[in-house]
Amino acid sequence: MPIIVNLDVMMAKRKMSLNELSEKVDLTLANLSILKTGKAKAIRFSTLEAICQALDCQPGDLLEYSKE
Amino acid sequence: MEITTKRTLTVLLVLAWIIFVGICIEAGGFIVNAFFALVNPSVVKHLWHEADLSALLVYNTWYFFAAMLLMSVVAILKAWLFYLIIKILHDKNFNLAQPFNGVLRRFIFNIACITFMIGLFSWWGVKYTSWLTGQGVAIPDIQDLRLGGADVWLFMSVTLFVIGQIFKRGVEMQAENELTI
Repeated sequence: MPIIVNLDVMMAKRKMSLNELSEKVDLTLANLSILKTGKAKAIRFSTLEAICQALDCQPGDLLEYSKE
Repeated sequence: MEITTKRTLTVLLVLAWIIFVGICIEAGGFIVNAFFALVNPSVVKHLWHEADLSALLVYNTWYFFAAMLLMSVVAILKAWLFYLIIKILHDKNFNLAQPFNGVLRRFIFNIACITFMIGLFSWWGVKYTSWLTGQGVAIPDIQDLRLGGADVWLFMSVTLFVIGQIFKRGVEMQAENELTI
């Protein structure tokens, strides 16, 4: 998919673990893992909002478009 | 008493079992008829009274076996159809919370194929018996030979094929929904 999720990059920048983020955004580790590995087909605005709030970033910092 | 999905499925399972047993007896009866026609033809008129093809046996043995083959194939296909229904209801392979899965999709496709074959063989059987009647042979009614309703079977198979295609899209949508975070 040409949309790349840079969740792992932002987590590394904020020095936040997956467990910590999972608690803050109220998502299961399995779902966060799907998002992190790029297997997700879609993301809800509410989820995006919660992650942006937890990582103090913009949606553009998490999502990137690249031509395949 | 509240009619829940679970209760409805249990009732359907019981009904499917009853129909399956009945159809197995019917298929067995036709096969026994054909067997005795081969071994001892004089017994045939004492066997299945409704489907008495003894006049056809006297007219031509091969025509008799062709008619028995068509009747047996239709009965066996019906039994197979109800076996698949019992199997899916008994194994509980479907999850009502997430009903769109590969197992159910294959099940719908399989029963669509079987109903199409039943319709095809029944239609063939009806044409064959009407041809034999034209030849002057006394043939029982097609309802007694269990060959009636070919058009209904064909209509059912087309409907099931359409439902199968919709179900296929449902499986894709459910997979997408599961991967929406």
